[in-house]
Order: sequence, then structure tokens, then C-alpha cells
Amino acid sequence: MQDSQKKQVLLVGNPNVGKSTVFNALSNKKQKTGNYAGVTVASHSGTYTYRNEEVEIIDLPGSYSIYPSSEDEAIFSKFLIDEQKNYAGVIYILEALSLKRGLLLFQQIQDLGIPMILVVNQIDQAERRGITIDILKFSEALGIKIIQTNAKEQIGIDDLKEAVLHNEFVKTGRISFETPVEHKDFIQKLVSHKGFDNEYKAWMSLSLGTDLGRIESIVGLMEEPDSKSLVPKRLQVQETVRRYQAVDKILADVISKKPQFKELLTEKLDKVLVHKFWGYVVFLMILLVIFQSVFFLAEYPMNWIDTFFSWLAAFTSEHLPEGPVNSLISNGIVPGIGGIVVFAPQIGILLYFLYLLEDSGYMARVVFLMDRLLRPFGLNGKSIVPLVSGTACAIPAVISTRNIENLKERLLTILVTPFMTCSARLPVYSIIIGLIISDGSFLGIRYKALVLMGMYLLGFLVALFSAAALKRFIKNKGKTYLVMDLPTYKKPLFLYDLKMVLGKVWEFITGAGKIIFIVSIIIWFLSYFGPKQHPDQFVATNVELDHSYLAKMGKGIEPVIAPLGYDWKMGVGILTSFVAREVFVGTMSTLYSLEDDAPEVKVIDKMRRDVKPDGEKVFSFATGVSVLLFYAFAMQCVSTLAVVYRETKSWKWTGLQVAMMTGLAYFVSMIAYQILK
Amino acid sequence: MGKILGYDNDSLKMPNKIIEMGLLPDTAFRILYQAPFSGPMYVEFGDEKSRIALREEEGNYIIVEELN
Repeated sequence: MQDSQKKQVLLVGNPNVGKSTVFNALSNKKQKTGNYAGVTVASHSGTYTYRNEEVEIIDLPGSYSIYPSSEDEAIFSKFLIDEQKNYAGVIYILEALSLKRGLLLFQQIQDLGIPMILVVNQIDQAERRGITIDILKFSEALGIKIIQTNAKEQIGIDDLKEAVLHNEFVKTGRISFETPVEHKDFIQKLVSHKGFDNEYKAWMSLSLGTDLGRIESIVGLMEEPDSKSLVPKRLQVQETVRRYQAVDKILADVISKKPQFKELLTEKLDKVLVHKFWGYVVFLMILLVIFQSVFFLAEYPMNWIDTFFSWLAAFTSEHLPEGPVNSLISNGIVPGIGGIVVFAPQIGILLYFLYLLEDSGYMARVVFLMDRLLRPFGLNGKSIVPLVSGTACAIPAVISTRNIENLKERLLTILVTPFMTCSARLPVYSIIIGLIISDGSFLGIRYKALVLMGMYLLGFLVALFSAAALKRFIKNKGKTYLVMDLPTYKKPLFLYDLKMVLGKVWEFITGAGKIIFIVSIIIWFLSYFGPKQHPDQFVATNVELDHSYLAKMGKGIEPVIAPLGYDWKMGVGILTSFVAREVFVGTMSTLYSLEDDAPEVKVIDKMRRDVKPDGEKVFSFATGVSVLLFYAFAMQCVSTLAVVYRETKSWKWTGLQVAMMTGLAYFVSMIAYQILK
Repeated sequence: MGKILGYDNDSLKMPNKIIEMGLLPDTAFRILYQAPFSGPMYVEFGDEKSRIALREEEGNYIIVEELN
């Protein structure tokens, strides 16, 4: 019962007006904000309690109109209309700098008879530009109370909570959209015959086109069935143009501004950042700075973490009572967890840069720059956002494809995004590169860093070319286009983003930690026990690793992986990686810690020394390259697959993705090993 | 500088987003930049000086006149 007592409130507005910032200011939950249309592509909810009232706020994806043109907008429209019975009202957010665009959707919702509270956010920004908004007149003209906020500074948030508490949601009876004369008769008949509450609802059901079937069945209502003028799209255009004309009239009375204001910062920055030549140079430089920081800045904390876990393993080994539990903890769990925590600094730095870029408004410029270059591959400029954020994690990246309007481009983006080098691959790459690449440097950049950068580049190129290959097999539905807002640049929220990053990194550590914990325990059990060695034993305990059940299983799959150059231990590592790639490191740590009893020796050194029965190094150059390629291409992440299925609603495409990626991985790794060995 | 007069007759193929974003008849605009190889155009328009990226194909739906 408690759930139904919670008051449900929707946050609605255009993309990039600060909905997520208001959401974060209201609720305790942290959600990623950005300065790029489409940061909230799924609906999120959070709660707050104000004066003993519990309120659930739902942050819906931004939209410019009630008529959706992409998946995220469709989510918004559907929720707004279908869930009307369940929510108390809508908090509609207008950005002071683009009132005109925001009022279009506002008036559509108002005409649907949905109760609303109107918030005008970032008034300070407007004032700084010499724009004054007469709030009283504005409020009168719209027939609704207006709350002014500056959500970043927490200003006005209490007023908003107070308004929600007192249910100040207003449902104005008036309708700002007047049905065009030529359709008036028909719409009025529709209202009386179909029981619509008002003319606009009848109009909207026609414009949405969803009720056409029903309309056709009542075609007798039409005196002259002029189906041409009732094309949904025409009606939408007609409505939008008319509404904007009305909005212009309202705003003329409300806004006064000093003439000739210029967005100086944005104008100056864009002279360089979207420049035909320098724009691309700057983009590449930014990527280089990010990768340099990921590798060099992160090195120090990584060493501390590594040293700490080696010490912890030695400490637990020494101080816990001898026996299986000791071996499980100091050989299995501690190195397993340590193997993941050590990558937290790199992941954190990468995420932090991505967040800052999103906040600043730069990502929209990247879309602008990349659109033409991505089109030959069947992708859209907007695909660059999932591709770049795929370097952190494919899961949010796949979800962020929702604002790509064209279904074919969206599907292609979803299919190839997992090729991008995500942070879970980083631990695997680092450890293998550490094993097979020497310490030298070229032009001051170390070989290891160069190879790692090469792996990122490889992921990107394979994503592009597989998109180009796949585009032949996907039917195109609808037109491809790019119509995208270019926001003004804003100073990124450095501190806020840092908090977000720490939260995400903590999630990564605990999430991966849990899996690795379980996997480590399973591996340890399988390696501690083995087939019986004496007739009177049920199973053998504390066996040599080579005689354990684990080795037996690993050796069982050896024939499949031998052409790629892997021994049974790597086979086990790859198998466990299908839960999540980073588990490979945990598995290797556990396996190599089990082999001898010198926990203070770093795992990587043990791996380096390991030899196959024939005396060949286990991690030779050929095997290393083969492993790198396998991890670059194979689809090994169950969570990503689940999200891909959810987004495509198709087993066919999900299955194709697994087969394509993993098949490519096996094939390429085998060729590389056979050539190099 | 230019001014939007209207849209190509074939407005059924035109993405609604163009109008929804505020590129309406009588709106003044300037094309500030264009990405290389006939890439998207960077257009500033209207009283609110909104900025928008759109491709040449989308631009072709819009009928404009030159202003000085």
C-alpha cells in the first residue's frame, strides 16, 4: 500500500534545459547530467521526502513535441499519455534562454488537460545576457503559476517542493490551439461521437496517426472524405506552425532585451572547435590528452593499489590459520579483487573526462564534425556519442543510441558499439601488454602506451568497417537526417562530476568485486579438489593444480583453443570472461596464486615465468597478440547482450551480434597466432 | 543572412524536427559554418539566437530569401 501513497510527479521539458539538474537537486539520487540533448534517454526515478510527504519524481527524456521522432521521445510521449491516472502532475521545465521552443510542448501538454507546475530555470543566464522576463505577465498569459529556479545552485528548489506539497498543479480549462477552420466540423463530430474530452485531444489522436484505423471506421462522419488533408504529418506541421505564431505573440509582451547581445564565449570557441581543419585537430588532441592521462596519471595510484593488495595477500597468508580457508582468501579472493580494484584509477579518469566533455556542450560539436565522416559507414553523426562513451562501457552507450531517429542507423550503432574498447577490456589489455611488449619508447611515448592506443584505434576501426559491412543487410525504414540543437558552452561542473565518477567507480568495483568473489571461490574449489588418487578416497583434496578438477575441465576445452595458442589456464580465463571481461584478470590472479605459495610475488611475474610442458613460454608474443585480438573482438559481456536485446527487441540481431563478434575474434586470433608463432 | 519564407511543397518528407526546433517562416538566420565535404551546416537563427546543426538535404526543404 505504501507505494500507492507516494505522490508521483513527472519532470518534463525540452532536451538540455536542466531537467536532470532539477532532478538531482530534488532527489538524493545522483543522475548524470550533461550539456547535450539526449543525456536522459531512459526514464529514471528518484524520491524525496518533504514535510512527511514522500514524492516520487520521474525524469522523462526530453522532447521538443508531443509527436515523437525518435525512441527516447516515444518513451516520453507514451508515458505522459498512458500513465495519466497514476501521476499527480507534471513539473514542466523551461529554460530562460529558449522560452519559445519550450512553450510549444508546454502548450501541447496544457491542452491535453494535464495538471502542471511551470518552472523557469537558469534565469540568471538570461539576465546576464540582458534579457528580462516579466514573470508576472508571463504567468498571467499562460494561466499558470511560475516558479523560478537555478537548480545548479539549489535556488528555488524549496519553492518547488512547497508547490508540489500543496498540489499547486494547475489544469487550465483553456485550449491555446484553435482547431483550423477547415477541420473544425470534422473534429467536433469526432469529439461528440468518440467521447474525447476536448477538441485538441481529438485533433491529437488524428495527428498521432495511431487512431487512423478507428477514424476510417467512422468515415461516414466525413461529409467529403478529404483524406489528403488528414495526413497525420500535415496536421502536425500545421499545429506546430500555428502554435509558434501564438507563442511569439505571448513572448513579445513578456520579454525585453537589450539589442545585439552576443554569445561571446560560444562564438569564440566555435570559431576554432567547429573549424574545417582546426576542429578536427582539437578533437584528436582532446582524445590524446585523455588517453595520456588514462595511462600515465593513473600509474601512480595503480602502483599503490597493487602494492597494497600484494601486502594484504601476504599478510592474510601469514596470519590466518594454515589450511584451506587461508589458501582461499590469500590466494583466491584477495588477488582476485585486487586485480580489479587496481584498474579503478584508469576507469575513473576516463569517465571524468567524458563527463566534463558532455557537460561543456562539446559533444554536440563532435556530432557536427563527425556526421559527414560517419555517413559512408551507414552511421549518423549522433553515433559518435555512443561510440565515444563505449570506451567507458557499452551498456550506457547502447542505451544512448535512443536519440538517433533513423532506425537503421540506430541498429547499426547498437551492433558495432561493443567493438569499442570498454573499460573492462583495459585490465586484460594492460596485463597482456605488460607481458609481451618491452619497456622501450619511441619519440618519448612508450611502446606499451602506443600498443594500448593501437588497441583503442583497432576497436574504433573494426566498429566502423563492420558497420559498413552490416549496412547492406539492414533494410532502411524512414529517412536519415540530422537536425540537432547546438547548446551554448557551459563551464563543466568539476566537483559534481567528480562525485558522479567516484560513485560510478565504486559501482564498478563492487559489481565486479561480487562476480569475481564468486568466480574466485568456484575456481578455488575446483582447483582444491581433484579426482581421487587412492581407491579409498571419495575425492582428492589439496591436490596439485595440474591434477585438479579445474585442470581436467580446462584441458577438456584445450583442443578448441589450442589453435589460438592458449593453454588450459587461459581457456578457463576466457570461459569465465563470458560473465564479464574483467573477470579474466581475477581468474588469472587466482589461478597463478594457487600455483605456488609465494603470494608476495606479483601475479604478473608469475605469469611471465610460466612455461608450457614443451618449455615454450605460455605468454609468448604470438599468444599475447592472439589474446589481445580475441578480447578486442569477442562479445563476452552478458549485461551488454541483455541491453542489446532490450533495445532491439530481437533475438535475431542479438544472436547475430554474438556470432559475428565471437566468430571474428576466433578467426582473427587463430590467424595471428599461426603467423606469429 | 537570410530569411525563411516557407517549405518545399513536398513537406511530407521533411523531418518535423526542423519546424519543431523553431525554423519557422519569417525567421532570420545565418549559416555560420559548414563541416568539410558538404557536411552539416551550423545555423544561427531567430531572436533567441538558437544554434542548430542540419545537413544540406534538410536545408533543401526550406525556401529562403537572402537578406542584406
